Amino acid sequence: MKKAKRIAELGVLTALALIMFFVELQIPNPFPIPGIKLGLANIVTVYAVYRYKAWEAAAVAAVRITLGSVFAGNVSALLYSAAGSALCIFGMVILKRYIDEKHLWLASVFGAVLHNTGQILAACLLLQTPQIFAYYPFLIVSGCLAGGFTGLCAQLVINRLDKIKMHPNR
Amino acid sequence: MKIKPFIAAAAIIFVLGIVGSIFALTSSPKNTVRISQDGKILYTIDLSVARDEEFGIKCSEGTNTIEIRDGKIRVRDADCPDKTCVKTGWLSSAAMPIVCLPHRLVIEFCEESGVDAVTR
Repeated sequence: MKKAKRIAELGVLTALALIMFFVELQIPNPFPIPGIKLGLANIVTVYAVYRYKAWEAAAVAAVRITLGSVFAGNVSALLYSAAGSALCIFGMVILKRYIDEKHLWLASVFGAVLHNTGQILAACLLLQTPQIFAYYPFLIVSGCLAGGFTGLCAQLVINRLDKIKMHPNR
Repeated sequence: MKIKPFIAAAAIIFVLGIVGSIFALTSSPKNTVRISQDGKILYTIDLSVARDEEFGIKCSEGTNTIEIRDGKIRVRDADCPDKTCVKTGWLSSAAMPIVCLPHRLVIEFCEESGVDAVTR
């Protein structure tokens, strides 16, 4: 029973991440730089990294990215997102040991920068053009800001959930 | 484990990002432009002698319409999902290429080859 509950929770998280992904698609992106976005869906990723096992967080992100890019009709974005998320989750799972939940926003900033690093590496390999690294500084600045924001959101969510004692691990 | 070193590291990364962005934005343009797709060079164009024109670059996913006018180059239109390449506008910095990720197209300034003005 416990396993079924856990899988159901992961399903809810994935659905939530997908909804956030689509809400964000409706907001026009003012920045003419490939790869810059708010990344609302990463609120779920950050939350999952901190409150679930590493593979569970990775699974939620993998399903969200695959379904999201297929539904949005932008399959070419899949590779960049996947590379970014892989690096982001890998890094955050390690950082989780050193950065406690009270500083979730900080872990999220590092996660976002790692995400951008993965994206740009994938783009460089795919386009065989190292000049794309010129966009890296912009991605870092936007990643720090967006990552801080999504991290704060995840922190708020955790605080609220703990208050109403809905959380599985507490 | 103390949190301060991590905050300092994040702050340094952020500042480096801002410095890098300023550098990338202020890097002055050159004359020769290279258009490549999938890492293969399609065109090398000397903008100082190129005449105004518009042409399409097709790939299996769609088309980008390139416009050259008054010695400047941009992607005027594209049927990619994000249209980032169109929004980038005229190519103005040597450090920042115009990139269309969905069509794997890159337009960038490069060193002058001196061999031919316009290569098709």
